Amino acid sequence: MAAAIETKKLTKTYKSRSLGAVNVVDELDLHVEEGEIFGFLGPNGAGKTTTIKMLLSIIYPTSGEGWVLGREIGDMEVHKVISYLPERPYYYEYMTGLELLMFYSSLFGMKDVERCKKLLERVNLAGDASKTISQYSKGMQQRIGLAQSLLNDPKLLFLDEPTGGLDPIAHTEIRDLILQFRDEGRTVFISSHELSEVERICDRVAIINRGKIVRQGKLSELLHGGRFEVIAENLDRSFEDTVKIPDAIVSYANGRLIVDMPEGEDLNALIDSIRSAKGTIVSVIPRRKRLEDLFVQTVRDTNQGAAR
Amino acid sequence: MRAIVAIASTTVGEAIRRKVLLIILLIGLLFLSIAPGLGGLSPRQETTVLTSMMLGILQLTSAVIAIVLTVYLIPTEIERRTIYTILSKPVQRWQFLVGKYVGAILALGLMMLLMSGVLLLTYYLLQRDVSRLGEIAKAPLFYFVQMSLLAAVAVFFSTFVSPLVNFFLSGGLYFIGSMLNTIYDTFANSPTTNPAVKAVASVINVIVPNFANYNIQNPIINPGQQIQNPTAYALFTTAYGVFYILILLIGAILIFDKREV
Ligand SMILES: Nc1ncnc2c1ncn2[C@@H]1O[C@H](COP(=O)(O)OP(=O)(O)O)[C@@H](O)[C@H]1O
Ligand SMILES: [Mg+2]
Repeated sequence: MAAAIETKKLTKTYKSRSLGAVNVVDELDLHVEEGEIFGFLGPNGAGKTTTIKMLLSIIYPTSGEGWVLGREIGDMEVHKVISYLPERPYYYEYMTGLELLMFYSSLFGMKDVERCKKLLERVNLAGDASKTISQYSKGMQQRIGLAQSLLNDPKLLFLDEPTGGLDPIAHTEIRDLILQFRDEGRTVFISSHELSEVERICDRVAIINRGKIVRQGKLSELLHGGRFEVIAENLDRSFEDTVKIPDAIVSYANGRLIVDMPEGEDLNALIDSIRSAKGTIVSVIPRRKRLEDLFVQTVRDTNQGAAR
Repeated sequence: MRAIVAIASTTVGEAIRRKVLLIILLIGLLFLSIAPGLGGLSPRQETTVLTSMMLGILQLTSAVIAIVLTVYLIPTEIERRTIYTILSKPVQRWQFLVGKYVGAILALGLMMLLMSGVLLLTYYLLQRDVSRLGEIAKAPLFYFVQMSLLAAVAVFFSTFVSPLVNFFLSGGLYFIGSMLNTIYDTFANSPTTNPAVKAVASVINVIVPNFANYNIQNPIINPGQQIQNPTAYALFTTAYGVFYILILLIGAILIFDKREV
């Protein structure tokens, strides 16, 4: 599959009086596949918004290159098939929901009221079409933001902190919409500094810190801890002593044997020996790292590296 | 084209809802309607002085509205990040800028239309005379071209200076430009003037848009000082204004295109 987004050493330098020149985005190599939900994760100030703005030519890179849907950044043609939901967006408050969508659709040279109404329906705002944006809650504003981002039936959506400052219910609503986008074959690029449910739906993520990518890959692989937990019943306590697996933590409580061990050949051997001792295997669970832990750990490691 | 129209009409929608502008407009309207009460003059004097006073109020109010409206035109869009959703659509920056400018002068035109209506109504109620209304109504038309030019100056500056600086820059330029004829005559025609000063005066005279062209209340007040050919004068000053506006907008677009928003 072709790349939806590709950057090579994309760099943005800002000069500040106190710090001198700072590479806010530092030789970034991004690769986003078509049709995936890509999570661009990093703490506040990591350079996420700056990267997105460069990809949309709202600001210009200091050096490096980038392509969006195969076109070099700066090519306005591509704006017909992408869309952008900025961080903490603001809309003309005096407009009604429907007027706002009509305004944005006219920027594409369209004038299709029916389509705008359909989109309002899609984001669950059909009943609020004639309310003004000033009467919308934050969650509703974010949903109308998603509606405007669908006006041109985009192939690729940039969502900058789409759930920032929203309550859990609004989170879920946004997450469900984003999942639908992927099912419709769109590529979704989400930036976020918090790890809510929305990030859990990402196929792949890049973790960015201080303008540099520190981890990039399939979420399932990054979270894979490489360890398994095996629980078995109907075994003698003495079985505990027969388990001789390096680096394993074995415990026996309430008639249950619990083994926390690294993955590998030993796992099959353990299962076989439990079976031949007539034990019952209750569960074999791959232990995943928590996304929060991975994130915090990665950021902390790179910050320490930078401090040294 | 549709994008420019949409941006312009949105700008009008925003502008006519801006409290600051409405307050300035209300103050202008208030002064227009109480203007007749301010004079204690003989009937003949009253007519001329009143007309010039009311036109002065209209012009000043329009100038303040024009500046306040345009110095924030682009910065507000950036600050509120509304510009990002717009520029991420297939909208070129020049389309955005032109749309904002056109919207601003349309809103300004609406407000000036309202003030002119009040002015003419006040005049009529006082004088019960319709014969000179047409003549008086010409002045706001000239002012409209003047304010459009002022708006273009402010939009141009707004692409690279802060609103506050812009306020004084545009306001100052309007002030100097309004007195340009007088200043230039003083320096350039006086035999005692140092040649260097003369040269500077000439340069200023060329660069600074001549806002004074549009201050035509004098012919109304003093019918003796009629402009020779009113139609030609109107055409010339309008063309002059449009030319300057185009130059300023092209400059603004060139700067805005390079700018980070
Ligand atoms: N116009 C600018 N001038 C100087 N520094 C900037 C500018 N814009 C952003 N920055 C700095 O760049 C860094 C990254 O910002 P940003 O991309 O907004 O981070 P994120 O979106 O990841 O929170 C921050 O430290 C911010 O202060
Ligand atoms: Mg950000």
